[in-house]
Amino acid sequence: MAVSQAFKTDLLGSIPSLRAFAVSLTQNADKADDLVQETLVKAWDKHASFQPGTNLKAWLFTILRNEFYSQMRKRGREVQDSDGIMTAKLAVHPAQHGQLDLKDFRGALEQLPEDQREAIILIGASGFSYEEAAEICGCAVGTIKSRVSRARAKLQEILQITGEDEYGPDAISTQVMGKPAA
Amino acid sequence: MKDMMKTSTAGARTRRDVSGDPLGPNSEIGRKLKQYYDELVSDDVPDRFAQLLVQLEQAEPARKKD
Repeated sequence: MAVSQAFKTDLLGSIPSLRAFAVSLTQNADKADDLVQETLVKAWDKHASFQPGTNLKAWLFTILRNEFYSQMRKRGREVQDSDGIMTAKLAVHPAQHGQLDLKDFRGALEQLPEDQREAIILIGASGFSYEEAAEICGCAVGTIKSRVSRARAKLQEILQITGEDEYGPDAISTQVMGKPAA
Repeated sequence: MKDMMKTSTAGARTRRDVSGDPLGPNSEIGRKLKQYYDELVSDDVPDRFAQLLVQLEQAEPARKKD
């Protein structure tokens, strides 16, 4: 069966999302683009197994994710630290005026285990439901929920965000006093 | 115009998680996540991907043989 024009158009249209997800997973732009390329080739080959009318984006994300983990297994997990270099060493400054620097956020995201990072990205940024995310990751909905909540707690810890659950002066005093002694 | 008083009272009661969504617009993490991701999504797509699809399309008739 030939690949339809509609499928090809949708494939093209989903490339920006695929790249964003790939960067989120790999934390490396070059590896991300290689991953997207592999995903497109696989999707093309398997296009007959896609059911029109179902969620193409979720289908593609599943392929990309499987490809990512299979590459990671082959490479013995060296993917994670790629060009992470400085982030671990950089102390995250407490947010000023409640505004977090995007760079700090990136650094914090990078420190999450992959399973937590992908979960929080799928739910909090890519716009998938818990059910869809569970399907993409091949796990239970409850597992996604707990990963998201652990990821969120970890990010709050790294970024020293304490003001979210307790409003008021606490948030400010933590910014002033909360820096751990060296 | 509807009377908005009820709404504003409710809003004052629980300022966090009005939507019940811990990653919603009221959460700093939620906002940063979206900012991080939107920046990635809006990145220019390199030509190699469009070229790749053209190549895949051209290769297709030849692959019918198996």
